Amino acid sequence: MLRTKSLLLALALTVTTALSPSAFAQEDKVRKINLYAYPQAALPQSFQASNLIAQAWRQLGLDVEVKPLQRQAQTQLIWFEREKWDVTMWRMVGRPERSDPDELVYNLFHSSTAPKGFNFVGYINKEYDELAEKQRKTTNAEERKATIFKAQEILNRDQPYAFLVHPKGALAFNKAVWDEKSIVEQSGIGIRNIWTFLGATPLGQQKDLILNSSEPINATNPLYISGATDSWVTDLVWDRLMRIGADGLVKPWAAESHKWTDDTTLDVTIRSGMKWHDGKPVTADDVVFSFQAPGMGDESPMYKPFVADIASVERTGDNTIRFKLKSANASFLTSSIAKINLIPKHIWEPVMKDLLTKPENAEALKEPSMIGSGPFKMARWRANEEIVLDRFGDHWQAPKINRWILRIVPNAEATLGMLKRGEINFLGFYGGDPEVLTALAKESPNIVVKSTVDIGFEFLAFNQRRAPFDDAAFRRALSLAIDRNLMVSAAWGDFAVPANSPVSPALPFWHNPAVDKMDTGIPQARKILQDAGYRLVGGKLHYPTGKKEQLKTE
Amino acid sequence: MRLFLERLLHTLLVLWAVVTILFLMFRLMPGSPLAAYIHENLSEEQQKLILQQFGLDRPLWEQYFIYIGNLLQGELGVSFFQRRPVLDVLMDVFPNTIVLTLTSLVVAYIFGVLAGAFLAWKRDTAVERVAVPAVLAIRAAPEFWIGMVLLAIFSFNLGWFPSGGANSPGQFYDSELDRFLSADFLHHLILPVLTLALYLQGLPLLLMRSNMLEVMHDEFVTMARMKGLSEWTIVVRHAARNALLPVITAFALGIGGSVGGNVVVEIVFSWPGIGRMLVNAVAALDYPLAQGAFLLIAVVLIGMNFVADMLYSLLDPRVTNARVA
Repeated sequence: MLRTKSLLLALALTVTTALSPSAFAQEDKVRKINLYAYPQAALPQSFQASNLIAQAWRQLGLDVEVKPLQRQAQTQLIWFEREKWDVTMWRMVGRPERSDPDELVYNLFHSSTAPKGFNFVGYINKEYDELAEKQRKTTNAEERKATIFKAQEILNRDQPYAFLVHPKGALAFNKAVWDEKSIVEQSGIGIRNIWTFLGATPLGQQKDLILNSSEPINATNPLYISGATDSWVTDLVWDRLMRIGADGLVKPWAAESHKWTDDTTLDVTIRSGMKWHDGKPVTADDVVFSFQAPGMGDESPMYKPFVADIASVERTGDNTIRFKLKSANASFLTSSIAKINLIPKHIWEPVMKDLLTKPENAEALKEPSMIGSGPFKMARWRANEEIVLDRFGDHWQAPKINRWILRIVPNAEATLGMLKRGEINFLGFYGGDPEVLTALAKESPNIVVKSTVDIGFEFLAFNQRRAPFDDAAFRRALSLAIDRNLMVSAAWGDFAVPANSPVSPALPFWHNPAVDKMDTGIPQARKILQDAGYRLVGGKLHYPTGKKEQLKTE
Repeated sequence: MRLFLERLLHTLLVLWAVVTILFLMFRLMPGSPLAAYIHENLSEEQQKLILQQFGLDRPLWEQYFIYIGNLLQGELGVSFFQRRPVLDVLMDVFPNTIVLTLTSLVVAYIFGVLAGAFLAWKRDTAVERVAVPAVLAIRAAPEFWIGMVLLAIFSFNLGWFPSGGANSPGQFYDSELDRFLSADFLHHLILPVLTLALYLQGLPLLLMRSNMLEVMHDEFVTMARMKGLSEWTIVVRHAARNALLPVITAFALGIGGSVGGNVVVEIVFSWPGIGRMLVNAVAALDYPLAQGAFLLIAVVLIGMNFVADMLYSLLDPRVTNARVA
């Protein structure tokens, strides 16, 4: 009895002594930060960057650990468990639709998307919200530009993200097969774009453009966004009223002209003489149907948001159509007109009506979905091996190549081998080390490498729901501690440019050059922390006097 | 007959256990398939809708019985991301994997058996002292490394073979059979088969060799020698045939084992097979597709186990008689 009692007492004493020092001395020390990152094998540049960042922050007195997470697990944590992380590496991919800054300026930082949407860092700023809403409704380009410039200045001041770099994507082609002058570099996207595919001029016997992708195709359905590579195919098989041109601005396509009759009314004239791949003519009724179909029931959940702003669409003449919007929307041309695929009413109307009575939706369809009016038509579909598209001779801007062949090649080194051997003559995707690619170009003079600054960017996301990341001074200090030029050279091997804005320099009209000047450095960062009241005790960072650490490391 | 039925029942039980474990495994893994959709513009209502369409909003036991019910009707479900029936998706790639696996196994086993017998004959010679470690080294080397080395030498440098895929770009064939028999397909098949065969030959070779060494000491071989039969007759007609028994069953098991495990070779050579598809499906949490692929592999594996069992009792009278006795 006495033995048990003394044992219990000893145990109690040990436990309290073990806990108490940590309870007292660490009360206002900033907790250890887990920096979630991409795995090294998946994104080596980003992984390298996260290690450099952790090193810099340790110099500020923070306890940092880099934790790589596989993509699904990372998305699960960051997106669905918004209270359970502090800092993470993340990236926004560049896409032609993002040539209009609306999507990134609004969705990433507006308070309405903080609970469940793209504003996963939880940045709440009323001043910013107003600017984001204003730019959406300002149809005058110069005024809108001023608003977007101001928005970028606020983001620079508040640093809800520590933007890191805009990567430079490197792609290549064989100039013995393709006339170099006919390969088009699209702002923010690179050489893999529809203008290249339309204009590529064969120099010799090889009239097929053969390119690669590392991921198999999920589906090619005009009412389903099933993956990045899939959209390379849908872009070519189905036409749109307007398209994003090589300069990043919207230009007429199936619509030969458009006019804003007033802020919420758009009149469009469609080109005459267009045909579907099955030979039938493209009519104004088809176009009207194309904009109504995504809104029918819940059959196209991916495309429905892009027609959500349309109050009505109707034919006003043989070749004219009128859109009436629910409210003024400056990005309507890019986000809707240049995005919705034109589909044949005679094929899809009965199908959609039938689907409304069934549990499946339009994404499940394969057969009816092959006919479009784009410059290429579907010839062969083997999701895991290759997609073959034939040129559609009846298109008003028919391609110069015979066929567009996409090969699925998951092995990055093999793609280089294939390029060298001629099995592919256009490098459509390259996930390996860009230096290996440049080395290949040096030893094979026919291979031309083109690298373009991307519309997208890589960044660090600070979770503003958790102190001290809710303190703008703290975020600014951490951001300024990161040497962006070091990121570019040491992590991205010079295949990037520094970033401090969601609007890339690849969009020169919208990018605000004033935010490019960042005074980065450890001394500058230390000064900001000091001015904000943070203290260094025993080499470790502590909260300002009076504040205590309330949260655990996640 | 009794043996046959007994084994069949056993096989079906194993299949059922596998199906249940597969089902639970995916559903209990952390994460949801929606995570793969996040890069698109999905609002909360849309996310709920998709969950509904996937049937993921129903209780676990209800999902299980729907799944089992469908399975018994031969319905494997619809892929979340490809939106096509899982069976269609699998049948796109399964023949490619079967061709690769069978060809590699046949090549590996023929080579392994002959080389194994040869090495058993060359016991205690310099040839054996070099060959056996070499075989072990090749067996221990990772498949992807062998594959990359072969690819680098024979494709990138010498240019003798293509760098990937099962066919040259843009080739059309009238039927799958035409395709499999075409010179273009065989040209693409050689390097992947060589890689796999190099890896697989270790087992039959060493197995055959050790069986032979054992058998050579058996009494009936001594008897044959006493009868005055030639060395060739003894080795081939008496010893090898008996040593071959375990190798034949290993072949049957090898089919089962290899069918799912080729993912590395499939990625190195961009071979459109089921292994690669399975890895992608699991990473994307495409439950129906991943389950379907796993199930197909499990069915082949369990089926081949059953065949191996039956084969052994057919080939070796000692097994059947032992049971009877």
